Amino acid sequence: MLAARVALEGAEVELTDHAKRNQAEWERAAPEYEESGRRGWAGEKPPSWGIWAVPESELQALPDVAGKDMIELGCGTAYWSAWLARMGARPVGIDITDAQLANARKFMAEYGPEFPLIQASAEDVPLPDESFDIAFSEYGASIWCDPYLWIPEASRLLRPGGELIFLCNGTLAMLTDDPPNEHRLVRDYFGMRRFEWPGEEGIDFHLGYGEMIRLLRANGFEVEDLIELQAPAEGPETRYEWVNRAWAHRWPSEEIWKARKR
Amino acid sequence: MNSSSDLNRAYWDSWSDEYQQLHASQLNVDEPVWGAFSIPESELQVLGDVAGKDVLELGCGAAQWSIQLAQRGAQVVGLDNSARQLEHARRLMVEAGVDFPLVHAAAEATPFDDESFDVVFSDHGGLSWADPLVVVPEVARLLRPGGLLALNLTSPFAWLCWNEEADEIEPRLHVPYFGMHREDASEGNVQFNLPYGDWIRLFRRCGLTVEALVEPRPAEGATTTYDYPLEWARCWPLESLWKVRKWS
Repeated sequence: MLAARVALEGAEVELTDHAKRNQAEWERAAPEYEESGRRGWAGEKPPSWGIWAVPESELQALPDVAGKDMIELGCGTAYWSAWLARMGARPVGIDITDAQLANARKFMAEYGPEFPLIQASAEDVPLPDESFDIAFSEYGASIWCDPYLWIPEASRLLRPGGELIFLCNGTLAMLTDDPPNEHRLVRDYFGMRRFEWPGEEGIDFHLGYGEMIRLLRANGFEVEDLIELQAPAEGPETRYEWVNRAWAHRWPSEEIWKARKR
Repeated sequence: MNSSSDLNRAYWDSWSDEYQQLHASQLNVDEPVWGAFSIPESELQVLGDVAGKDVLELGCGAAQWSIQLAQRGAQVVGLDNSARQLEHARRLMVEAGVDFPLVHAAAEATPFDDESFDVVFSDHGGLSWADPLVVVPEVARLLRPGGLLALNLTSPFAWLCWNEEADEIEPRLHVPYFGMHREDASEGNVQFNLPYGDWIRLFRRCGLTVEALVEPRPAEGATTTYDYPLEWARCWPLESLWKVRKWS
């Protein structure tokens, strides 16, 4: 594996090749996500999941987070951590990207509440073992980090009985073509792991159902739930070209895994 | 309206003779094998050592699987909803020189006591042709603490990619995923399946821990007497083999 040595908060940390590329891509893309992050911090949208903004009040995917030590792995502008803090959790947000964390700090100063933000990769987190009750990720480490690296890290960071909750792309959505050929399966399921896309710099990751279950169990987790998100039938399209609402109403474009450390 | 178990009983009673003949080369094997491409249990290692264990096969058909396990020392019971399938089972048991109980019943309502079995399994059997929302709680009742349920059935992928008009599987989504549960076929039978997340929630609600989801992939050049193209099954999972265990 190619690795670069970069200084993160004074510590020498090995970044994987894909982490380096994703970091560069997110330094570039951060302004595109500034406004949606601000809306989350400003309380202009309720806690909600994924690109269809399914409200947590409807989905009820989270346990009672009040008083829980949480880490958000790949927090970006940390709007989810802000929501969790307002629910009574004690979040820590980590992200690899300067520009995203700069926006997070700006929103924190403007709207509050305050909580720690740390620049680090979820593949190698500079925090002690068994520090958290809940590890969380929504389109963060859950897609941009190698699951064979970040899931063992999440397990290490969790206390016994702690929960791992993460949202990623739906498995079918990873395998089908973009609109207008969104019904065609164009990528193989077997061996799926690392994805590069034409014209895009970022590298993302996804495992099939059986392999995700195997990996979670191998890292000491019991699989507790898999919530497959259905887009509501009516409403606007998203900013993303890879999926449309009609498809995501029939097939899952996103999935939330829940697992508990034994 | 007839229940799915009545419809499937009539379907399998009428189709059994032809089915056993058509798939004889695939079904009558000399080791336990899983699914449409006959992938050996010795390779997948789902059941483990069955010697001395009380094993129930849900939807045993002509009991080719159960015969293999009986020959490996298991105390087997075969259950099937079709009397005609069980007649084939009796014939094959005599040929193999083994004897174990065969029970004529639907998987939704078995006549066994609570905690009677160490292993319950189904290979395109009672959990494909009966409602899992009813059968999985029934299996949880039948298993001893720490007991294993192994079930192999057509995967959600295969359901979604089924082109009803062309009557074949394609590399294309045809059937919606959300709401997947019951399919009434034009042949008069009823089959069942669930989305992946619904399976996980159902298992857990019934006190079963998910240990593995094995997705058998046929080898290059593998053959089958069933109507599934190898090239599709090499790319996407044709079957889901769930391995779940009752809390002890």
